[in-house]
Amino acid sequence: MNFLNYIIRRLLLLIVVLIGVTVVIFILMALFSPAQRASAFITDIKQFGDIDSIIRTYGLDKPVYIQYFNWLKQIFQGNFGWSTTVSRPVIDAFKFFFPNTLELALFSAPIIILVGIWIGSLSAVHRDKPVDHFTRVLAIVGWSLPTFWFGLILLMIFYGYFQGLFPPEALGYKAHTFVNSAEFVRYTRINSIDALLNGELWIFVDAIRHLVLPVITLTVVQIALVMRIMRSSMLEAMGKGYVLTARAKGAAWKTVIKKHARRNALIPVVTVSGWLFALMMAGVVITETIFNRKGLGWWWARAATQLDIPSVLMAVLFNGILFVVTNLIVDILYAYIDPRVRLG
Amino acid sequence: MGELILDISELKTNFYTYEGVVKAIDEISFSLEKGDTLGIVGETGCGKSVTVLSLLQLILPPGKIESGRIVYKANGKRINLLEQSEPFMRNVRGNEISMIFQEASSALNPVLNINTQVSESFLLHRQKELCESVLENLSERVDKSKRFSRLFLRCLNYRYKKKLRKAENNLLKHGHYGRLIKKDAKRLTIDLLASLGIPNPSEVIKRYPHELSGGMQQRVVISMALACNPNILIADEPTSNLDVTIQAQILDLIEKLKGEYKTSILFITHDLGVIAEIASKVIVLYAGALVEFAPVRELFKNPLHPYTKALLNSVPKLERRERLESIRGNVPNLVDPPAGCRFHPRCPGVMDICRSSKPEQIINRTHGGQVHSVACFLYRNTKAWYEN
Ligand SMILES: Nc1ncnc2c1ncn2[C@@H]1O[C@H](COP(=O)(O)OP(=O)(O)O)[C@@H](O)[C@H]1O
Ligand code: SF4
Ligand SMILES: [Mg+2]
Repeated sequence: MNFLNYIIRRLLLLIVVLIGVTVVIFILMALFSPAQRASAFITDIKQFGDIDSIIRTYGLDKPVYIQYFNWLKQIFQGNFGWSTTVSRPVIDAFKFFFPNTLELALFSAPIIILVGIWIGSLSAVHRDKPVDHFTRVLAIVGWSLPTFWFGLILLMIFYGYFQGLFPPEALGYKAHTFVNSAEFVRYTRINSIDALLNGELWIFVDAIRHLVLPVITLTVVQIALVMRIMRSSMLEAMGKGYVLTARAKGAAWKTVIKKHARRNALIPVVTVSGWLFALMMAGVVITETIFNRKGLGWWWARAATQLDIPSVLMAVLFNGILFVVTNLIVDILYAYIDPRVRLG
Repeated sequence: MGELILDISELKTNFYTYEGVVKAIDEISFSLEKGDTLGIVGETGCGKSVTVLSLLQLILPPGKIESGRIVYKANGKRINLLEQSEPFMRNVRGNEISMIFQEASSALNPVLNINTQVSESFLLHRQKELCESVLENLSERVDKSKRFSRLFLRCLNYRYKKKLRKAENNLLKHGHYGRLIKKDAKRLTIDLLASLGIPNPSEVIKRYPHELSGGMQQRVVISMALACNPNILIADEPTSNLDVTIQAQILDLIEKLKGEYKTSILFITHDLGVIAEIASKVIVLYAGALVEFAPVRELFKNPLHPYTKALLNSVPKLERRERLESIRGNVPNLVDPPAGCRFHPRCPGVMDICRSSKPEQIINRTHGGQVHSVACFLYRNTKAWYEN
């Protein structure tokens, strides 16, 4: 029950951290003038004419702590203000953009983890053999490519020479129209999944074709990173006493790798995966902008350049919460893999 | 002289590192009698571990066993282990010849619980017995059960009958053992730990290594090695990081096992006190070369090789209050070991011939008729050197 205890303790900590996140965001907001802050409470474009009444309604001239609670109340009611970049309430924009980003993440994360770990251990097991040299060169190249540069190169190749194979945006014109028609039920608002649920295979294929380049752009750096960490931690684990013990027991090399070395080698990978996730959110902004894929990153990039304060605040809050939650998941995973952590 | 269970001749192992070829052990020959305990002593880095790892072919690249013969005698057959395939060796390791390692804390896998680690020995080498006992148990339950669960048990029975075919040749792979076989192995593990004097074994097997004390960890490591009643137990400095009381307990434990199971033991240590206590014969290694072999009493009473003498002089003795002598000079670099006798740069009695040729083992017998051999030119012309 050690493990359960640990999770409960972490969940309690999560609440404290989330409160911290909102406080930080609120302090950021305090940097703006009351009129600017008022925009965070606007839910309809018509309200722009009467900023003064908003300042009065939401008490933006009141003491700071009262403002903080007012703001929290608004947030819990789902009121995040008006996004000038996309001309609709922030919360609606979020509901619109989020599925596209989620789709990108859902396809990228497993690829990063599985491919990175697989190639990394392969490289370690075949140390100094051709496989190892090859993958190490790939890793160095992949790691040193800036995401935007790599994305632009892909763009050049596939929009220039192989036009139409992997098109930009999230869906083709025909698919897009069909998806938004009454015939198509939006169960999850994630194109590829909805396509399968509706039994429309061609839409699924279309969605995947639109995903290929963004997913490659987003994953290549991180696969390289995971792979390098996995390789070195695997090599370290293979030299450990317990691996020798297992071999002396008569276990086959393959079993030794699978049962004894790999799990230990995963510990450093899990440790950095929270950080990896932060890297991925940065990658999402760049990737979606390059491939004109209308997701959260695409929206935020615009919001930031057009001083769309409510959208940016929402982005900060969202990333804060996401980061805290992923770190919680990482910690739980960490404790699951390494029993020594559960004590602390 | 008893029956030899292990006869090693001219074993040579090198490591091909970036700095050059490390000649870790150079044509070492010795043998182990059945039921006997042979001590291996020498300073750190002299090749003790490499010697025993070579025996089980556990040396990994860049290391390579260059030449030699390791004749192992079991069930009346003599086989050269160096000529056997890897699957054959896997069956020998942990089953017929097993090992205990220096640091228990690093020999145990931190992320697996004790049960997983100890029962692995049974799962690897006792597949047939485990499978049969599972089937027996199942058929008993079939007889007693009602119709519905009988069907279920029949299915299980069928599954494990299929497994038995593979298990007969120890061919069940990791991940294909099945729940019932693992459960049976767990039962054996609990019995084993109990027989080694570990209190409350059914609780201990659920723990992880970091939750056990150092002495307890070493007991677990020993239990893994003893799980399959090996013919030969190799102990590589099993007590060097334990405090004195626990060290004594572990030594007692090994003594007891020796008495009970007639296991032959290779006991490595750099602690001469421990050797005196546990071994009946000793080999002394220096810089990858075997310099002296003698019965333990004889070695302490009448050391011949200058290195052995120096080694014995560096041990504090209660009755002797004089200053400890340490051996002058450094252990040589094994990439480029001294030519001739590897001890010559540090030897007080060095002669010209020592710098150019390698001394052979000179074999003689003590008064009791036991073999005492030494590799040193000081003794090349003397026949009755042990009498002076
Ligand atoms: N994996 C390795 N790579 C290179 N050299 C090694 C390796 N393992 C052992 N050696 C060398 O072999 C020699 C003997 O080592 P070892 O048998 O571990 O000594 P000890 O007597 O302390 O057990 C040492 O000089 C060491 O440098
Ligand atoms: S052979 Fe020569 S150098 Fe070596 S121990 Fe004997 S006397 Fe010393
Ligand atoms: Mg050693």
